[in-house]
Amino acid sequence: MTRTGSGLLLRIYMGVFFLYMFLPLAIMVAAGFNDYSPPSVTVWKGFTLHWFTELWQDRRMWSGLANSVLIAGAVIALALPMGLAGALLLGRLGSRAAGVLYTAMVSPLLTPGIILGISTVIFWRGLDVSAGLFTAILAQTTFIASYTMLMFMARLQRQDGALEEAALDLGATPFQAFRRITLPFLRPTILTAAVIAFLQSFENYNTTMFAIGGEHTLVTEIGSRMRFGLSPAINALGILFILATVAFALAWAALKAHERRAAEQAT
Amino acid sequence: MTPTPSGMDIALSGAAVRFGTFQAVHPTDLTIEAGEFFSILGPSGCGKTTILRLLSGFLDPSEGEVRIGGQPMAGIGPSDRPTALIFQNLALFPLMTVWENVAFGLEMRGWKTARRRARAFELLDMVALGGQGDKLPSELSGGQRQRVAIARALAVEPAVLLLDEPLSALDLKLRQHMRAELKQLQETTGITFVYITHDQGEALTMSDRVAVMNRGRIVQVGSADDVYDRPATAFVATFVGEMNRLPGRIESVAEGRARIATAGGSFLAPNPGGLAPGAEAVLFLRPERLHLLAPGEAAANVLEGGLVRRDMEGAFSTLIVETGAGRLTVQRVNSGSGGLPAGPLRLGFADRAGVILPAGETADDAA
Amino acid sequence: MTRLRRSFGAPLAALIVLLTGIWVLGLIAAPQVIMIEQSLWKMDRPAGADELSVQIDRLYNRLDMLALDRAAARTLSTPSATDAKLAQIDAERAAVAAEIADLETRESTPVRTWTLTNYAQMGQAHLRIFAKTILAALAVTAIAFAVCYPIAFAIAKLEPPRRAALIMLALVIPYAINELLRVFAWQMILNYGGPLNAALGLLGIGPVPFLESGSGVFVAMVYAYILFMVFPLYNVLETLDMNQIEAARDLGAKTWQIHRRIVLPHARPGIAVGCIMTFMLSAGSYSVPYIMTRGTAAPWFAQLVYNRFFQASDWNVGAAYAVSLLAVCTGFVFLMMRLLKVRLRDIAK
Ligand SMILES: Nc1ncnc2c1ncn2[C@@H]1O[C@H](COP(=O)(O)OP(=O)(O)O)[C@@H](O)[C@H]1O
Ligand SMILES: [Mg+2]
Repeated sequence: MTRTGSGLLLRIYMGVFFLYMFLPLAIMVAAGFNDYSPPSVTVWKGFTLHWFTELWQDRRMWSGLANSVLIAGAVIALALPMGLAGALLLGRLGSRAAGVLYTAMVSPLLTPGIILGISTVIFWRGLDVSAGLFTAILAQTTFIASYTMLMFMARLQRQDGALEEAALDLGATPFQAFRRITLPFLRPTILTAAVIAFLQSFENYNTTMFAIGGEHTLVTEIGSRMRFGLSPAINALGILFILATVAFALAWAALKAHERRAAEQAT
Repeated sequence: MTPTPSGMDIALSGAAVRFGTFQAVHPTDLTIEAGEFFSILGPSGCGKTTILRLLSGFLDPSEGEVRIGGQPMAGIGPSDRPTALIFQNLALFPLMTVWENVAFGLEMRGWKTARRRARAFELLDMVALGGQGDKLPSELSGGQRQRVAIARALAVEPAVLLLDEPLSALDLKLRQHMRAELKQLQETTGITFVYITHDQGEALTMSDRVAVMNRGRIVQVGSADDVYDRPATAFVATFVGEMNRLPGRIESVAEGRARIATAGGSFLAPNPGGLAPGAEAVLFLRPERLHLLAPGEAAANVLEGGLVRRDMEGAFSTLIVETGAGRLTVQRVNSGSGGLPAGPLRLGFADRAGVILPAGETADDAA
Repeated sequence: MTRLRRSFGAPLAALIVLLTGIWVLGLIAAPQVIMIEQSLWKMDRPAGADELSVQIDRLYNRLDMLALDRAAARTLSTPSATDAKLAQIDAERAAVAAEIADLETRESTPVRTWTLTNYAQMGQAHLRIFAKTILAALAVTAIAFAVCYPIAFAIAKLEPPRRAALIMLALVIPYAINELLRVFAWQMILNYGGPLNAALGLLGIGPVPFLESGSGVFVAMVYAYILFMVFPLYNVLETLDMNQIEAARDLGAKTWQIHRRIVLPHARPGIAVGCIMTFMLSAGSYSVPYIMTRGTAAPWFAQLVYNRFFQASDWNVGAAYAVSLLAVCTGFVFLMMRLLKVRLRDIAK
């Protein structure tokens, strides 16, 4: 009896928690369709898509988007090879050296983002490179490579070491064994890591804000507008972000379910 | 088909392996003849795989030397040795089809696609997997996967095939079937097989010679008969097959035999180690060499006891008999006459049936 | 190294070492080292600047003296003697003027001096903000843990696996939505004319200046970072064998005893990750105070750092501020690892 009682209590608690998680987002979405500026839900002036057209015509948003994509592309190109190299190296070191290297490689994840941004800018200023897209790319790569490294490491740990050895035994050179056995094994992770790296880069605010100097990305631009919350166009953009996130989460879940079914069939 | 390659001989001289301070393989001298089916038998963790990795080139000896076909192997990696390894878990490439697996070694040797595909299917035919070439390994049964691994190894025409407990993942029936297939394959190809197992049945049935290993040392090398009937140490005696143990002290010696005094009486048995009178020793006795004596029947060695239990096992029954020398196991062919008469039992064995060895580590201690 | 070359071949091995080296040394280590270095010096008046200025004064006096001498020299008897004297005086004047110029540049050119004063610069006011930020981050972490532990436990252990997966997927959505948007939602809610004040108005309270008082920052911070606690906790709790809980219950353990002896010890790595992430994000948060206060309330520490760099342009002091924050966060990581007896290895998920 008490078991079901506490179960009910937990259920209610969970419901409240979900309300807490989603209600604020719902309010923001609603304001994006309200024909009233500044964004509000307390004063309802009727449904409109006006803010979306206003957003569409916003040049700074478009240039921010272009910068965001550019930065994310460069970060993927850097963080994937670096993370993979780190994971591969880690697997071939003695436990002591591996411990030190591992600590160094995950440390950016434990460091506040603003510090990654600031330190990158200080470092490159010493070399007479001023803050901009370049420093933003490097600052983001610093910690995004940690994520990709962890993903590759997890995947490599699941690889059967005998496979590479079997290839060597059959006459493959180490490079051939890597290309024909390990790389295909890593392919799904490469894809996932690229997606995660893109999202991390695209959505990053704290690090980018400190590293980007006079340039802007979509997210830093949103940040500077939000402070004053003047136009519901920001809400419209928020709605687009939410739609993209939901679509992405569903696609992800579908992909996982598909993989699981494929795996079940295989065994 | 290409002409069957012939096997090469293998020689270890003083080869040893250390991992840090741990001596996984003590300095070992061992010769394996070309074309021989050679097994290495020992409990898990005794260093069998380590020796195989020494031969395949994944490990360098910490000291000593490995020669294959007369050539020193120092500095020659696994890719360049005339060996092929069949892994304990097979290590089939999961993302390649069956024929691509088989053709992998040929691909690495630069064969054109059409040619290596044809050769792969030839080999698959040979291992009775003709129609399965385009499947993925995950779509095959355990026995079929086993054959793919064999075909893949044979594709590179090795002079030495190294097999690391390849049957351990299969069920009993399939295992017995594959034993016969492997033996036949070895005979038709003439390749040297080095076969690793902790299963004495496998080692005894297939091998020309068996090496028994314990704690990083090869303790005996010989034919199946040698290791079963003429064990060199207490460990071999107890690891291979069932064994009764009767500890005691040597009374007298004569012509390669000795008389040993045990708690159950004094018995005559071979004394291969030439133990001197007064030495502590153990008489080892196989259950099937102990007979039930009919009343009045004589034997070189006799002892008495009472039946504790009889386990019916089909062709045989196993008797547990309490004697003055402790509980002994006796194996008896079932004659169809059913149980035993009540009352005390007399057991007898020939003066060549047992073996007297110095007391030492046994398989039970190791376990 | 030989192992690496053996596994990948020399060219690939070299590439692997090169890429890892660029990342670990060039992107991670070097900027931190330079930042710390920058925090340890400042440009200052050179040592002995006071003596220099005394010396310069003396030289100016000398110059004046020479001017007088020169005037006196004009009245000398013979023209040739006058010319000789004048030439001598002019030469000395030139020499003195040159020396003055040299000393003056030495006096006014700042030199790099190693010092800890950048850290001392923080002063009472900034120190208070620093402390407030750290305490708030600790509070956010504690609240997040208290709120999330029951949630994570309920999802991981009380829901059927299929539904648990679905619930987690639903939580991914607010988690993946940009931090700024989550904060912005709260800016709207807590605004002077926002829904919360409207609701309070119906009860006859308010309106309350949440944003202007700075309390909004805290509320939004909890909201923004709470999910960084849920996911690590859920991940470890999911791996807890339900049989362990049942065995404990079977042996007579009460619910709270089960949690204290079985569930919490098992969850240590997840707790460590969750706490470290939440603390680190809160302590170093720039976006939340930036958006929530609209510059109307006292700044948070990340804003101070930003201002040192980009408004006051005092990079040395800014670096010192950043290093202080880094030190606190590093200390927190070690503290959590020590308290929960986990190693960095266990933390990677
Ligand atoms: N790379 C290694 N490093 C340290 N110890 C090892 C290594 N490989 C094997 N060993 C140890 O050497 C011993 C023999 O191992 P192995 O040859 O695999 O035994 P098995 O006879 O079961 O095949 C074991 O105790 C094992 O733990
Ligand atoms: Mg083994």
